[in-house]
Amino acid sequence: MRARPVPPSFAAGAARVFGLSLGEMLWSRRTVFLLLVTGAPVFLAIVARIVRGSGVVPLRVNGAAVDGGSIFGMMIWVFFLRFIVPVLGVFYGTSLIADEVEERTITYLFTRPIRRGAVLVGKYLAYIVSTTLVVLPSVVLVYFLLVPLGQVARTFVAFAADLGLLALGLAAYGALFALVGAALKRPLVSGLVFVFGWEQIALLVPGYLKRFTVAHYVQGLVPHAMPSEGVAAVLQSVLRDNPPALVCILALTAVVVVTLWLGVKAVESREYVLDQ
Amino acid sequence: MTIVAAEHLSKWYGQVSGLNDVSVSIPPGITGLLGPNGAGKSTFMKLITGQLRPSKGQVLVLGEPIWDNAALYQRIGFCPEQDAFYDRMTGREWVTALAGLHGFDERTAAAAAARAIAAVELTEAADRKIGSYSKGMRQRIKLAQSIAHEPELLILDEPLSGMDPLMRRRTVKQIKEWARNGTSVLVSSHILHEIESMTSNIVLINNGRIVAEGDVHQIRDLIDEHPHTVSIRTTQAHAVARELLADEGVVSVRFEPGGLIVETVRPDAFYARVTDLAAGGQFGPIHEITSPDDNLQAVFRYLVKQ
Repeated sequence: MRARPVPPSFAAGAARVFGLSLGEMLWSRRTVFLLLVTGAPVFLAIVARIVRGSGVVPLRVNGAAVDGGSIFGMMIWVFFLRFIVPVLGVFYGTSLIADEVEERTITYLFTRPIRRGAVLVGKYLAYIVSTTLVVLPSVVLVYFLLVPLGQVARTFVAFAADLGLLALGLAAYGALFALVGAALKRPLVSGLVFVFGWEQIALLVPGYLKRFTVAHYVQGLVPHAMPSEGVAAVLQSVLRDNPPALVCILALTAVVVVTLWLGVKAVESREYVLDQ
Repeated sequence: MTIVAAEHLSKWYGQVSGLNDVSVSIPPGITGLLGPNGAGKSTFMKLITGQLRPSKGQVLVLGEPIWDNAALYQRIGFCPEQDAFYDRMTGREWVTALAGLHGFDERTAAAAAARAIAAVELTEAADRKIGSYSKGMRQRIKLAQSIAHEPELLILDEPLSGMDPLMRRRTVKQIKEWARNGTSVLVSSHILHEIESMTSNIVLINNGRIVAEGDVHQIRDLIDEHPHTVSIRTTQAHAVARELLADEGVVSVRFEPGGLIVETVRPDAFYARVTDLAAGGQFGPIHEITSPDDNLQAVFRYLVKQ
């Protein structure tokens, strides 16, 4: 009998699970869905580019032409932050443990000398990497399709902030829904209700309710100014009472740390075979 | 010394009892856990592998509680019953990745995986995707992942299910060899003959309780009183039936799509005969032999009446 190695620490266990899960996640059917979702803004940006190339202004607000940088800003806000990021968070986050339970492969991970919480953390890290690997290139494409080269130098800092914000948004929503997936029996339904029910309502209701949404802190970090009249003004009104950037960053970091910690606790105490 | 010790162990699923006040000590060596489907065997296996938390009582594996004790899995190998895999991975990738979860570096994990895959005679198919494996190959790659880290205790849940007769024989031989080399093995099955070919030490479980434990020969006579039903999957059912009907123990044969069902009162001799037929190959391939659990159920009914 050969000498056995020391069982991996929590961090080392998470790293091993990350390595095992990343390939599975990147080559899963869900990635096709992810490519379709992130491909939509790219498609729209290509259309806008073609329209502008033919001499027609693709978007006007009150008769005034909206420049490429502003269109990009609106796409970041409307498509990526309000739709793609939460949807990816729901679909990936809730499935981190639920998929393994449903496919009954969780047994192979939970009968190893690594803490169950490390399995969740490792899979969460794989989620972050696989989603950012697809989402961020899509944003870069949209940026270079919409923003004229002459404006790149002026808008690059805001663009870099967008990339950071998207990564933070993916991290926060992913951690929240990892907890939902670890703790609840029908996590996907609960996640969709949170994103398309609770967050939508809470953001529109005046008062403090919006503080209990992730979107409130994510949109507080949007570096772009929105058009101030017309339909877009409704969107702008939501942005008016945003907390300072530092508060948003701290709040989102707290969401990641606290929900992930609670997720670890949930995974370590639940008997998943009962769900099979 | 005991490898698994349960004391007044119970598990309830809401109002339903899965295991009821079980106390048992399982010694080193090979032990068979025998019981029909729904007897509580699966609950017991899940409790001793730490997948379920006892509702009452306690279970010690290698002297330690197993629930929430990740480090203990370094000494345990588990081959679950379910046919579940990461189908996109090759057998080698899968076993190597799981061995890596035991703390081996990449090279050592790969070497451990290669040894385990060779032990289950799957080296040639190791670089194929698991999704393309036959049922028997999938069973074997599951066995490989359970032994790659060379555990002290091997827990095997229905390990021979889906294997052809020759592979069953080889796997039984392999399991006995692991035991000879010092690994304790706890193997579950609903087929007495399978267990009997590995060990005489059995634990019988039914209706969530331990019905009997000890030497299999004590219940052997009971088995012989009940005709044993065996299902054989083969393309040449009539030729195989003709051959088997010559055996003294065979009391009936009936055909079904893709094979035949035989009743015998001499299961040991019968299984040996079928394995010889499969090895000889003169009646075409014998893909699978299975035994429905009603054989065992009859014995349990008898035991309970006693």
